[in-house]
Amino acid sequence: MKRESWVLIAVMLLGVPLSLAAQGKPLTVTGVRGVTFGAVLPGVPRVVLRTDPANSGQFDIRGPKGGPVLLSFVLPLRMTGPAGALMPIVFGASDAGFSSTQSIGSQVGFDPRQPTTVIFPSNGNVSVFVGATANPGTNQRAGAYTGTIILTVTYL
Amino acid sequence: MRSITKLSLVVAALVLTGTALQAQTNNASITATASVQTPINVVGAQQLNFGNVFPGVNKTIAATDLANAGRFDVTGQASTPVTLSFTLPATLSSGGNTMPIVSYTGVHALLVTQAGGVAFSPVAGATPTLSGTGALFVWVGAQVQPATNQVAGVYTGSIVMTVVY
Repeated sequence: MKRESWVLIAVMLLGVPLSLAAQGKPLTVTGVRGVTFGAVLPGVPRVVLRTDPANSGQFDIRGPKGGPVLLSFVLPLRMTGPAGALMPIVFGASDAGFSSTQSIGSQVGFDPRQPTTVIFPSNGNVSVFVGATANPGTNQRAGAYTGTIILTVTYL
Repeated sequence: MRSITKLSLVVAALVLTGTALQAQTNNASITATASVQTPINVVGAQQLNFGNVFPGVNKTIAATDLANAGRFDVTGQASTPVTLSFTLPATLSSGGNTMPIVSYTGVHALLVTQAGGVAFSPVAGATPTLSGTGALFVWVGAQVQPATNQVAGVYTGSIVMTVVY
């Protein structure tokens, strides 16, 4: 292979990260606020809407300016409580919301159970809000329950 | 350029590319939290007892009759409203014989002494609030109407109270 060909290959390969980096800021994801159900009564489902400013979950993302990004969640099926007690937690088809203005009042709902592609705004700053429903049984053991919600963000 | 140098350059480029692509994914987590309150517990503490009944003579036990009215004891989350509903028999049975039971009455109170009790209709149910210690007491009375030819025997029936938040 000629020297020019090797140089071309190297430039092409090196060009990939250079072009991605040129899209904007490094990709960062921050868990801002958890989903808070508060006091839950046995046998009474508790719903937290993604538009609830106090109790909905929130992630802030800094990323590519104007770029397509894939959002995917790892969602718990149950919350864990005292002595290993479990309580179902359910996520509906519109329990996640994407805000290109980082405003809880301006969201586009999407299904957190499915990977979703969104377009970042020109400043590269967005927020994702999450709601859910806790379904305690009628004989649900009293105590504190927790579950972890993971949001993975990928440049496309 | 020597072949070994060319190869090193390509490998380095691949490594750099791979590193850069890996950096295009990031994640974070948040926690969902809930505090489950005390479950409801209901105990049938005292039977509704009509005692001796004579054929053709109706007998009524008032819900305020602490000795003979039926009583349920409820415990749950302090200061929390609950809904009471009842399954009430229309007759008492003794073998194949039956005797009508009608005119149910109820009282719920935060103290077992029935102080401050509130009358209600078991047919309609009620929505009281548990006490500051999570207690509630519910009494049920009714009237039996034995026929003039009512067959002698011990007659029984089940009253079921359901409590939900």
